[in-house]
Amino acid sequence: MVGPQYDCLVNPLGAVRSTFDKAMASGSDPSAFNGSDWGALDVFRQFLIDQSSLSQVPVLNPTTIGRIQPDTLVRFRGMIQDMLGNEFYVGAYKNDAVWRTNKYTDLPQFPMGEEPDMRIWERRLLYCVPVPGQNSWTESLSEVLPNGCMDWTSQQREKRPRMDDDASDHMDMVSDDECINSSCVKKMRGEGHASPSSSSQSKDSKMEGTSSSMIKIPDVDGDSLPCLVKIYDCPESELKLNEIFEFIGVFTMNSEVTVAKEDNSEVSDSFFEDELISFPANKVPRLHCLIHRKLEVHDFLHSSPMFELKPHLVREIRESLLGHLTVILGNDGIAAQFMLLHLLSKVHTRVDNVAVGKLSLNLTCLSKESVSVFGNRLNHAVKNLLPFTHCIPLSVEYLNTASLAPKKEYQTNRLIPGVLQLTEGSHLIIDETKLEAGTLNSNGVENTTLLKNLMEFQKVEYDFQYYKMEMTTDVQLLIFSEGKSNIVPADLVIPFQPSSADSIDAVPTEALEAWRWYLATVRSLPHSIETEIQKVIENDLVAARQADRSLGSQDFSRWLTMGRLMSASFGETTLSLEHWQMVKEMERLRRERLK
Amino acid sequence: MMKSYDLESEKELAKEFLSSFADANGEAKYMNVLQEVANRKIRSVQIDLEDLFNYKDLDEEFFRRITENTRRYIEIFASAIDKLLPEPTEAIPDDDHDVLMTQRSEDGTDNADGSDPLQKMPPELKRYYEVYIRASSKGRPFTIREVKASYIGQLVRISGIITRCSDVKPLMQFSVYTCEECGNEIYQQVTARVFMPMFECPSSRCKLNNTKGNLILQLRASKFLKFQEAKIQELAEHVPKGHIPRTMSIHLRGELTRKLHGDVVELSGIFLPIPYTGFRAFRAGLVADTYLEAMSVTHFKKKYEEYELRGDEEEQIARLAEDGDIYNKLSRSLAPEIYGHEDIKKALLLLLVGAPHRKLKDGMKIRGDLHICLMGDPGVAKSQLLKHIINVAPRGVYTTGKGSSGVGLTAAVQRDPVTNEMVLEGGALVLADMGICAIDEFDKMDESDRTAIHEVMEQQTVSIAKAGITTSLNARTAVLAAANPAWGRYDLRRTPAENINLPPALLSRFDILWLILDRADMDSDLEMARHIVYVHQNKESPALGFTPLEASTLRAYISAARRVSPCVPRELEEYIAAAYSNIRQEEAKSNTPHSYTTVRTLLSILRISAALARLRFSESVAQSDVDEALRLMQMSKFSLYSDDRQKSGLDAISDIYSILRDEAARTNKLDVSYAHALNWISRKGYSEAQLKECLEEYAALNVWQIHPHTFDIRFIDA
Repeated sequence: MVGPQYDCLVNPLGAVRSTFDKAMASGSDPSAFNGSDWGALDVFRQFLIDQSSLSQVPVLNPTTIGRIQPDTLVRFRGMIQDMLGNEFYVGAYKNDAVWRTNKYTDLPQFPMGEEPDMRIWERRLLYCVPVPGQNSWTESLSEVLPNGCMDWTSQQREKRPRMDDDASDHMDMVSDDECINSSCVKKMRGEGHASPSSSSQSKDSKMEGTSSSMIKIPDVDGDSLPCLVKIYDCPESELKLNEIFEFIGVFTMNSEVTVAKEDNSEVSDSFFEDELISFPANKVPRLHCLIHRKLEVHDFLHSSPMFELKPHLVREIRESLLGHLTVILGNDGIAAQFMLLHLLSKVHTRVDNVAVGKLSLNLTCLSKESVSVFGNRLNHAVKNLLPFTHCIPLSVEYLNTASLAPKKEYQTNRLIPGVLQLTEGSHLIIDETKLEAGTLNSNGVENTTLLKNLMEFQKVEYDFQYYKMEMTTDVQLLIFSEGKSNIVPADLVIPFQPSSADSIDAVPTEALEAWRWYLATVRSLPHSIETEIQKVIENDLVAARQADRSLGSQDFSRWLTMGRLMSASFGETTLSLEHWQMVKEMERLRRERLK
Repeated sequence: MMKSYDLESEKELAKEFLSSFADANGEAKYMNVLQEVANRKIRSVQIDLEDLFNYKDLDEEFFRRITENTRRYIEIFASAIDKLLPEPTEAIPDDDHDVLMTQRSEDGTDNADGSDPLQKMPPELKRYYEVYIRASSKGRPFTIREVKASYIGQLVRISGIITRCSDVKPLMQFSVYTCEECGNEIYQQVTARVFMPMFECPSSRCKLNNTKGNLILQLRASKFLKFQEAKIQELAEHVPKGHIPRTMSIHLRGELTRKLHGDVVELSGIFLPIPYTGFRAFRAGLVADTYLEAMSVTHFKKKYEEYELRGDEEEQIARLAEDGDIYNKLSRSLAPEIYGHEDIKKALLLLLVGAPHRKLKDGMKIRGDLHICLMGDPGVAKSQLLKHIINVAPRGVYTTGKGSSGVGLTAAVQRDPVTNEMVLEGGALVLADMGICAIDEFDKMDESDRTAIHEVMEQQTVSIAKAGITTSLNARTAVLAAANPAWGRYDLRRTPAENINLPPALLSRFDILWLILDRADMDSDLEMARHIVYVHQNKESPALGFTPLEASTLRAYISAARRVSPCVPRELEEYIAAAYSNIRQEEAKSNTPHSYTTVRTLLSILRISAALARLRFSESVAQSDVDEALRLMQMSKFSLYSDDRQKSGLDAISDIYSILRDEAARTNKLDVSYAHALNWISRKGYSEAQLKECLEEYAALNVWQIHPHTFDIRFIDA
């Protein structure tokens, strides 16, 4: 082979076809391989990975969509929001006694005869959306191209960071209400059609003025860009709902196909409308996926190679982050300690209905007034530290109207996203301080149970109308409330006692990046408990229970989780006695406050 | 594809099979069906592939060809039936269709320029019957996502839930025209939803004369089929983790319409691409929508009585039944992730099994369902136990005392918003008829339900006299209730009766009442601490020490056990009566009679014993069953009153001694066999270990002698 004859970037289909012709020429039978790969993927893998040309592939987003030519190679980052099932297509057909393929395309290259000899293959349709709650800092930098090989895109990119700075400046000035609401407004906008209830829409429009300054992604038409990804030959188990992927494939947007379809829809029975009608091709681009890869939080950071997991370095970052959190929390050191552990929490495993490793935090003693200061600060800080964050201002009206759980809509055959359809590792702030006495309707009751289940089991029930399906999630939950929250009973309740409300100095970018890296890395460290310390813990637990009968398995589980997080926060993988003692001391201080 | 073998020879094979297949009774099954068809009794001819498989001259190639190209073979079988169809043996009234057919056949004779295919009457038009080929019901049906592109054109069997169902509409199969010029009937087959009507007469006469005869569509002469569309969706349990359930379109024709009603079904059918016409054809080359042409519909059975054993289950049950320890094995497999509570699980297993219903000669019914109430502190896994039981039971309803709908637990009369008629709507207890109804938060039940539940639990009916409707609905359900103590947590300083916030009349209806307390005890605390540390360290539950049986196996075993209806042999009557009077006397003796031993208790003993006998697949209750029943009831009482036992001053060892001594005195013997002793003490709720301890201790005091091998006891006469 003398290198690819076709430019994989501009004419990926050419490359696909040439490999197909080659495979045919070497005597393969199209029915024999039944749609599986014939060597086309190798060409692309070689091109993208071996020649490391991944960065040359343009990213598909609202700004670039107008400039990208159809039938070229693009990449798209998004969360799998819905799975639309299989599509059967004519994979191979005979044209003038020569086999042709339709793989990775919507339209045949050559006209197909009246009744050609053909093979039907299948592909899977995934509906992908930008990750809900994704913070701007991940996006602006993840797209930076290392070399300016494509002028028009890199120019575009350079503008981004500056816009972000502007936006975050705004952020500090806008009044409290809007700031708290901003992320949820953004979400509502992201859903667009998903929240048809009039109240939420009116809220939306009311806030339009302020929110536009906060949505840092310059939306062209005020709508985020979903993408219909068509997956070829890969095991089903590889791609799961709510996971984040980068898809690299052929971009198509064929207006003719849509026209033909829409004309036809009048004739066809209304009962079985075409599934794709709800996705007009001019709004939802198609991507015929060649290669996909799962993205972790690390893929959204850009400084990973800068740091190494060295003990002293980790300690240093830990200290500075703890200091930062203490300042944000008005010099409440204990709350800052708990906050740090909370930010590191993650569901590691599930054992008999118990999500091991979750650590939700409830900051109590926050009045409406103090929330406006500390709530906003925290919200802002969390946004800057974690890639995917959300905020729900809990009010009776919100509970009664919002659709928290995703719901299957059979008219359009779509899964309508709910606020709680979140990707793994999202952070969710629930602000209960604005909740007032009122009556919940059935929707409100359902929403509170959803929140409670999310808190307790890290599970969300998706409503498929004929039955409900539990989907596991991994969401860090932070609750602000005046008294202990009973709607969403958190693992940890700590009365918040700030001693100062000084304004915070701007945080240098390097520090922010270090903290982001720290949070992402340390969270996924392995963990073990040695036998000796295990004995100590067991005895401690028994003694604690003998002294206080109200302690239950949940409390013990929480202590062990805290132990793990504590040792992880120092970058260590085994629990030491020192850290266990620290956990016990923290618990003691917390209990004292609760009295 | 079709050219590789001969169409005519296939028809011969089909004909031969239909005419000579004999079922297990040696009857010519299909010829009988055809006779019925000829007599216009039935319309559908169902060809079971299983029959073909069992056919003596099975041609495996033929079998394979049918499953892979089913649609073509329907036609082949239909034309074979055309040839085989016998003369009707009964007079059948002529309907429009027949009049038309006679007319046509008369026309046909004088109009014999049959070279034109459009003028030749297609055989389908004459047929009165419909042919369906049914997939073999052996093996597991596919889930929707398992049906891949390679199955196109093949016969598949899938299971799922019906989510949408259209109205039944007529679908044109053949359109018939008459020509204004030549008067010929012209036939056109319609294969898609949309068709292009013919306007010019294609007959040779019109062509010859170049008249371009105008065609008029004859609706009465055309053939229509009943046609219904539905959507089926994967069942929640078939969807892999992290995926969305898939759906598939179903087309139902003719006799299969109106068979679906929003239910879990199993369908066999042909997986086909939708034929396109018109505009779609342009796109058709690229993407094909698919559907399943239904061939048979089976509804899932949701009752024990209708539970069908599948595949190797029968064998599995037989193996389990041979194994002696079935009682323990099954009960341990209930909610294996919940640690401990062995006796509660045993009781719950018996609730699943139940006892046979009895109907006396005078019409009185005695229920066989066991009712159990679990009471206890919050957070002792009551709800999890309830939910698990519901999962095991084929028909189970989980609800809370407060209920969520206005219907509540029993039944309600409601006004239908559309028709304005009063309609009766069943609540959870009625829906759980012939099953199990788990009621969480039993103590928080609405007052109206609480009165009605008395009736449900004993008479097993729900009576309604409201808004001019007086009726009674069946509610033959076993009630499994969970309740919290009156003050949220169990208050040890108060009496059990005070803690239990339920009226005695209701409590006495429960066969077993169990209190699960979160007691302060070093061992259980250490156990819990160990468990939690283990979970955090190893990211999994500690090994159970046994492999729990699958829920499906449990269900199969229980359904098999429920078919047995054991009775109490005469020689045991005395024994049970004595046991019952003993309990009554003990109660009379104690100064705090806090239990309510009534005739209901006696019935409970009988029920539990019968359930135990059912577990052994035995037709008669054995003494060991009664002993175990007494033990369970004693244990349940201890869970409530264990503190009293300590107060009475007797420790376990001396209590056991007094029991044995009393029994020996009663029977007037000096020898007590070990097995007997174990029986007696276990009835009182003591363990074997405690018995051994007692034996050793008192043997050292020279009160009795213990046989070194059999452990039989011999009292030393003083």
